[in-house]
Amino acid sequence: MRRILEIDGEEIPVWLAATGRGHVLHMKGREIPCALEAAAGKGAWTLLLDGARIPMRIAVGEGATFIHVNGRAHAIGRTDPAERLGNTAGASQDRMIAPMPGVVVSVLAAAGDAVTEGQALLVIESMKLETTITAPRDGIVAEVPFATGASFGGKEVLLRLEPQEETV
Amino acid sequence: MTARMSIRKLLVANRGEIAARVVRTARAIGIRTAVLRHPAEVDAPAHRIADEVVTIEGATPVAAYLDIAQITALAGRIGADAVHPGYGFLAENAGFVRALDAAGIVFVGPTGDVIDLMGDKVRARRFVEERGFSVAPSAIEDDNPEDFVQRARAVGYPLLIKPSAGGGGKGMRIVRDAARLEAEIETARREGERYFGDGRLFVERYIENPRHVEVQVLGDGRGNVVHFWERECSIQRRFQKIIEETPSPALTPGQRREICDAAAGIARAVNYRGAGTVEFIRAPDGAFHFLEMNTRLQVEHPVTEMVTGFDLVGEQLRIAAGQPLGLRQEDIAQTGHSIELRVCAEDADADFRPAIGDILLLDEPAGPGVRVDSGILDGGRVTTDFDPLLAKLIVHGRDRDEAIARARRAAQDCVILGVTTNLAYLDAILAHPRFRSGDVSTGFLAEEAEALQQGRDPAITDILAAATVLSDARLVKAVDSVPEIYRMMGSWRN
Repeated sequence: MRRILEIDGEEIPVWLAATGRGHVLHMKGREIPCALEAAAGKGAWTLLLDGARIPMRIAVGEGATFIHVNGRAHAIGRTDPAERLGNTAGASQDRMIAPMPGVVVSVLAAAGDAVTEGQALLVIESMKLETTITAPRDGIVAEVPFATGASFGGKEVLLRLEPQEETV
Repeated sequence: MTARMSIRKLLVANRGEIAARVVRTARAIGIRTAVLRHPAEVDAPAHRIADEVVTIEGATPVAAYLDIAQITALAGRIGADAVHPGYGFLAENAGFVRALDAAGIVFVGPTGDVIDLMGDKVRARRFVEERGFSVAPSAIEDDNPEDFVQRARAVGYPLLIKPSAGGGGKGMRIVRDAARLEAEIETARREGERYFGDGRLFVERYIENPRHVEVQVLGDGRGNVVHFWERECSIQRRFQKIIEETPSPALTPGQRREICDAAAGIARAVNYRGAGTVEFIRAPDGAFHFLEMNTRLQVEHPVTEMVTGFDLVGEQLRIAAGQPLGLRQEDIAQTGHSIELRVCAEDADADFRPAIGDILLLDEPAGPGVRVDSGILDGGRVTTDFDPLLAKLIVHGRDRDEAIARARRAAQDCVILGVTTNLAYLDAILAHPRFRSGDVSTGFLAEEAEALQQGRDPAITDILAAATVLSDARLVKAVDSVPEIYRMMGSWRN
């Protein structure tokens, strides 16, 4: 079973397999036997890897796993490649992604609206700077997930257009 | 803590860590407490420990916390006889003090007139200078706009142009080249107009490689003032402090006494009431100049509490209740060393961009000499509604080395998962040789930006990848449900 992990900006495809004796992580051409044992406390685990026992705290978020190990917290992006294929077809044209966290100042379009390329759709504020998000192409608005005044995180989808119909 | 207080119920007109911190002291001395909550806010520690939580309304949470009429009316409605403003929001708003006065409610802080005087940076520096305290050589446009440029030139270079109505470093410009002076004045004027609606300026000599040293003072409004020694706050990013400590590693005992006496003298000159902080800029040659006076409790007040043993909020409440100071300067000693780390939701690798997210797991550090003033709860959420301060880790040690070691331990043991924080960055600062030797200035973080970029041991990729896939319940379940025969085929293939 595969996952694509993002560790420190690097995308790493991995594969987890089960053997009679436990799990093996396949990564960058290597096979790494490993196991995770529950420990005392919320989100507390001990990772067994390469003969070492490594205590850590883990919180599994929606698209990322957060791990505190050796005195530092890390956020690891986690994607199921099967899901990714479905979601990202034409992503750059259909989905407007927040470059950084901010607040929606005003919403200028609603789901179902027909919009034309260059039309203002949303005004957002990040780092005390206002930015107007415009339509990258003509189309129909499928979804505007955030209302005026709502906060959003970096990389969250701010607006989605209906997929473009194939013109034959 | 046995003195009988005439304050019976206190409203804390603030939020986050400072609301909880004030409530804890008030409860310990037998005062009932109320805190505020905007409908858009998630629960915070103060909501758990206060006797009462009162809803405030507003288009945004920040607007609600700045709503003088609403908060004053609410304090009257719930029968609060005093309001503690914390820091930020209405803490230095003379209009708020006057509104509470009119309603017969005690403001825990100085008079509106003192807030007005110290809030006007130009008036404040003139007041201080006229009483014989040192300010940096300067020229003030308002004195005579016609010859402002000539007078600015006479201050000497490098010089700093500041908006008269400014604060927080906005609109400030450093000029090193005499030929650039007039152009920079015009730019600063436009920025002042844009940020503050006020284009008036003043210039002062710019001190290269300065340290920020400030002194905690306490007065009772009856002429009695004491100081609680200094704090060094030179570790700043974007003109905002992130690590503070006391004692300052830069001061000799004689210099320490001199700067602290100056601060107490300034507070005495305004017959100061309550807790305040006098900020100074200190040049590498040891000269120091008055910068400004903050007429409130500061974020970094706990380091002072750690080395003096006093509860400054308790002292504030005692004075607000009308009691005389009852403390002599010689009663206040500095013992050991204390450091505060400001834990913020921000990405230190991306220009300190604020971060948001759900707090999926929170475990705060503990141990000898460790205090945590936290504004978050496990399961809470960090939004962009407020500033990014989540919690403060404050440590105490016998000496600076022990305090640094304990601060590093606390930063590493502090578990906040689900939102990006600056904990690893704070730890990198504590580990830096220049910080360890005390050789810092307000430019330190910018000068050492590259060294402070967190390097990563490449071996940890294996650990993070293994932990991520093994904690992915859906993945593990799918892998474990593969029939044995295919698993065996899998291993044959290898």
